[in-house]
Amino acid sequence: MSYFRTQNSATTFSSSRRQRQATANRQWQRNQNTVAFAPKVSLGPVAHTIIIALLVAILGLIYLSQVTKTSSYGYELDRQNTEMATLTAERQGLEIENARLQALSRVADSSIAKSMVEPTSTDYATR
Amino acid sequence: MQTNQDYYRTVGLRSTILWWVVVFFVFIFILRLFYVQVVRNSYYVEEAKASQVTKLTIFPERGNIYAVDNLGEEIVPFVLNETVYTVFADPYEVKNALEVRNVVNEIAAGEIVETGFDLLDDKKLRYAVLARQVSRPQAEMIAKKELAGVGLQKGSRRVYPEGILASQLLGFVDNEGIGKYGLEGYMDKELGGVPGRLETVTDVRRIPLTIGDDNVSQPALDGSDVVLSIDRSVQFKAERLLREGLERSKATKGSILVMNPSNGRILAMANYPTYDPAKYTEVDDYAVFQNKTVAYPYENGSVMKTLTMGAGLDSGAVTVNSTFADGTGCYKMEEWPKAICNVEDDPKKAAATMLDVLRYSLNTGVIYVLRQMGGGTINDQARNTLYSYFHDKYRYGQLTGVEQDGELAGTIIKPTDQEGSSIRYANMTFGQGMDNTMIQTASAFSMIINGGTYYKPTLVRGTYQQGQVIEKMPEVVASSVIRADISEQIRDLIWQGRKTGFFGKNDPEGFKVGGKTGTSQVIDPKTGRYSDDNSIGTYLGFGGSNSPEYVIMVRVDDAKVPGYAGTSAAGPIFNDMSNWLLRYLNVLPSAG
Repeated sequence: MSYFRTQNSATTFSSSRRQRQATANRQWQRNQNTVAFAPKVSLGPVAHTIIIALLVAILGLIYLSQVTKTSSYGYELDRQNTEMATLTAERQGLEIENARLQALSRVADSSIAKSMVEPTSTDYATR
Repeated sequence: MQTNQDYYRTVGLRSTILWWVVVFFVFIFILRLFYVQVVRNSYYVEEAKASQVTKLTIFPERGNIYAVDNLGEEIVPFVLNETVYTVFADPYEVKNALEVRNVVNEIAAGEIVETGFDLLDDKKLRYAVLARQVSRPQAEMIAKKELAGVGLQKGSRRVYPEGILASQLLGFVDNEGIGKYGLEGYMDKELGGVPGRLETVTDVRRIPLTIGDDNVSQPALDGSDVVLSIDRSVQFKAERLLREGLERSKATKGSILVMNPSNGRILAMANYPTYDPAKYTEVDDYAVFQNKTVAYPYENGSVMKTLTMGAGLDSGAVTVNSTFADGTGCYKMEEWPKAICNVEDDPKKAAATMLDVLRYSLNTGVIYVLRQMGGGTINDQARNTLYSYFHDKYRYGQLTGVEQDGELAGTIIKPTDQEGSSIRYANMTFGQGMDNTMIQTASAFSMIINGGTYYKPTLVRGTYQQGQVIEKMPEVVASSVIRADISEQIRDLIWQGRKTGFFGKNDPEGFKVGGKTGTSQVIDPKTGRYSDDNSIGTYLGFGGSNSPEYVIMVRVDDAKVPGYAGTSAAGPIFNDMSNWLLRYLNVLPSAG
């Protein structure tokens, strides 16, 4: 397949078969393209630069949105850490309260404990 | 007139100049960029990091301390951590100082830092502490008030649910987070853990952001949770009995130690006077922080006769059937003007037995044992033999390694020292002339009655991990220190000595409770001589059925009751503790 640009820069179609047949006196083969495509409008270097700049800008935006999204995980992590610390502090508080209520001095000084008496003698089931 | 050609030439020249000027400046920019981005790259990278990256220390949680109860069936907390807050203000941001003062005073009245409120009007300041050690509920109430310029800073403090129980063996943690005295001081590293590190990009509120390639997140390693061998009930009872005993004998100070002779685990360790570790800053006399059972070497007195007798029997110097002439009840040495005499109870037998030595606490009897070590006189051989038992086998003069900060090794004079005279060694046989701690004597005593194995005394049963106690095996320092049959003989002698003595009637039938009193004179610091006004009473003994289950050592200072302090002050505390322990430990009486 081959393309070439015509002189008037307009897109034209021409059969190269006939032309080539005439000049080179060749035999055409199967699946050989005999039509050349030449676009009417072409992109110059400025257009290419702008397109590339736009693509870079889009990629940059995508990158920034990803970074922002990632940094938002930091806040989520911090929130969860704070929540965990609060729950741990609550658990510690309950453990301490529980331990204080079961402290031996508290139990020994209770009215129930004070009403108890020492055994006068001890019998053993087995010797 | 300028022609078109000249005009175009001039314009062309200007364009060329402009072109080169532009090229020049672009070149300068490129050079500068090269310098900044390539040559000074590392400098600017560090500068950027310094402004964006925050380095934070992650503080580990200090390990909790637990004890056992109900014969090891239950684990109970002795020291826990509590989250507390510091209330601070930024005076520059505070809008209503009066409201701040009223609210903080109302909610956290007990924790106020008065000077902090005086700084609220100074707008040049940015930080003023208004209250410390504020509890979580109090902090939540303050936070709800949303006071402008007031903030809360989280911290941690040690709490003691059992109050003053075991305070001297536990120690405390100071404001810097460093363990002081007792177990906290000794195991500061293990309990303290290892701080972590966080280096990360943060926002203006210092909240870490998950961006950046060089973030470092090294988590903190929390301290180990330690389980003590201390039994809460035994400790509680020991403290109460000690306090009551001291009140009875009008004594000022005292200590008690209970340990298991079969593994070296300490069941109770208490001193009086004591202190509240939660209020350690209110203590005036720092001596009260010390655990005197490990940090107070003293002349143990006649309780040492049990150990001298053990040395005599094991070395073959005497046998249980040996007798000696005690007609005068005194022993006079050539190099000393005064004779060493026995107490009034001495029956002054012509042929006193080894049982009599312990039964009547005969100083002359243990001197006889020392003489026999030298073949009949107190010579180098006798002194060397006694020293080798006391220092090498009983480990006097050495630290036991019990997990307590500030343990002292005491003093034992070598026979080769100038002061290691015969008179000193004669005194050492009955516990004078050498300084030992209670933990040293209780550990050596455990060894001579348990068959001859010296266990390292320990307060730590293991660590607590995910609700399970990871037990630490008892540590044998030396085995077969004395022969097993000798151990049985000395145990029987001590038992019979008590049974036939003053305290024998206190012991329930079917149990083997043995013990020995000791009353040592104290050197008056003013005169440098032994004083008759003060003494230290000690009682050292064991109890059990077929085998000893516990060893108790009691020390009472400055008792003001008639009689020898070992008998009148320390002995009754031992009796009460021993009788209670027999029931608590479910010791069954033997058939014999």
